[in-house]
Amino acid sequence: MLTASHLTRRFGSRLAVDDVSFELVPGEVFALLGPNGAGKTTTLRMLAGLIEPSSGSVRFKGDTMSPQTAPRLRGQIGFLTEAPGLWERLDVRRNLLVYARLHGLPKPNQAVSQALETFGLLDRANDIAGQLSKGLKQRVALARTLLHKPSVVLLDEPTAGLDPESAREVRELVLRLRETQNTIVISTHNLDEVDRIASRVAVLRTRLIAFDTPAALRARLFGTRLRITLGQAAAPFASTLIASGFDDVRADGPVLSIAVSNEPSSAPLIVRSLVQAGADVFSVLAEEPRLEDVYLRLLENEDQSASTTMNGPPAA
Amino acid sequence: MTRILALLDKDVADLRQNPSLLIPAVLTGLFSLLLPFVIAIIIPVFADERLSDSSDFEIVVETYKNQPAMRGLDPEGTIQAWIFQHFLVLLVLTPIAGSMSVAAHSVIGEKQARTLEPLLATPITTFELLAAKVLGSLLPALLLTAICFSVYVAGVVIFAQPGVYRALFTPASLGIVFLLGPLASLAALQLAVCVSSRVNDPRSAQQIGVLVILPIAGLLVVQLTGSFALTGPVIMFIALALLGVNTGLMLLGIRLFDREAILTRWK
Repeated sequence: MLTASHLTRRFGSRLAVDDVSFELVPGEVFALLGPNGAGKTTTLRMLAGLIEPSSGSVRFKGDTMSPQTAPRLRGQIGFLTEAPGLWERLDVRRNLLVYARLHGLPKPNQAVSQALETFGLLDRANDIAGQLSKGLKQRVALARTLLHKPSVVLLDEPTAGLDPESAREVRELVLRLRETQNTIVISTHNLDEVDRIASRVAVLRTRLIAFDTPAALRARLFGTRLRITLGQAAAPFASTLIASGFDDVRADGPVLSIAVSNEPSSAPLIVRSLVQAGADVFSVLAEEPRLEDVYLRLLENEDQSASTTMNGPPAA
Repeated sequence: MTRILALLDKDVADLRQNPSLLIPAVLTGLFSLLLPFVIAIIIPVFADERLSDSSDFEIVVETYKNQPAMRGLDPEGTIQAWIFQHFLVLLVLTPIAGSMSVAAHSVIGEKQARTLEPLLATPITTFELLAAKVLGSLLPALLLTAICFSVYVAGVVIFAQPGVYRALFTPASLGIVFLLGPLASLAALQLAVCVSSRVNDPRSAQQIGVLVILPIAGLLVVQLTGSFALTGPVIMFIALALLGVNTGLMLLGIRLFDREAILTRWK
């Protein structure tokens, strides 16, 4: 569907994006994470055909993005920019109508009415855009982004600055889009949001630090762990488990945290060992580190790797 | 064409919501309209002295009294006709000056309002964007020209001597208003839109666009001194030159419009 191949972008001597490659499939929500200035917006702009890569390419449904093909391909891409970018003196309907006509929709008025209904904006259609709340402006901007029914949707920080209710509306919309087989690329700092909606995550800091499903990233960095809550202090039972062959067992109050290589087969074995040792097992859960921890660990690892590269390997 | 019309429609709607952008046009229009009436009608009334009493205008009467549009006019009428005809050039300045602020804001305004990036993310081409922006400034300019010319003619019919208005309907006069005026406006506005897509401050675009006014003002001066006359062939020659300039400016505008720089370097 959408392929970024060795995307690199320089602005003068500054390297904004370095050798970024990924391939996206229909129905996927792909999250771009990274600190400010990591190259997320530049990557989105290259995907949208707004700026050209210094090297590498973007391919969309078999076509390579170029100055010649970009106007046509942009018609199949929806790009929600960081700012809503509404014409503040015009009303909501007129804002959408201009875009319906810019996209060459055959029945622009009908398309606008449909979008207003879909986004719950019918009663605000005649309101001046400049007088809307931030959340409503973002909703109008989203309606504008999806007006022409694009197959790829690029969202640059869609919930930034929104209240929790508006942010949830945006998330629900993204999930609805995923169901209709849209490919969604979302750039955000909201890791909780990513955890809820993204099927794959890329962590970007000029270059791609990591690219995988959230679960795989967690497993890679923290391993798989089980969290078992007992009816008594957990510490005495830690040695039982170590004796059963589990190397990494931590006890904290009534809770045991155990590193396992295979969660489905390990859980019954652990529970059996604990019960035989006299423990009362209240609950067994797969322990999931927060995505924030995964993200911070990735950046830390990257910092350490960069520092090692700069200082050379440690002396033996 | 649909995309040009869509954006043009938006710009016109936006202008209707922000009519203060046209204040310079109205002021320039009033000045252009009033000045010849002050010289040809008001000053002679207050000074209680006819223009034809002054020996300064003898040469004007001698030169122009036999022109078809001025035949049958007495010396006072001939001088009035000469003044009103020559000040038509000043009327051409009105739409240019008036629409310059609109043109100067065209691209920078979109960038400052953060509406340019979503716009560029549509299938719109650079030519379509620039054409819409230029037309968005030109249409109000042409409307102003038509209004100013109508008021000018009405004023001449009411306040000048009978028959003087005929001097405003010669091919040369109409050529100045309806051919040179729009073409000069188009050149000035294209220049302002070009500059608007290269600078960060609308004032820069406005100042550079106003440069086009200088040759037109110069044209007025040399006409009044009698050293140069805007005859039919001269008007046609200038019109063709302006057509070339306009084509060149559109090509230059497309070449100068740097989407990347606008998106990534403008703050």
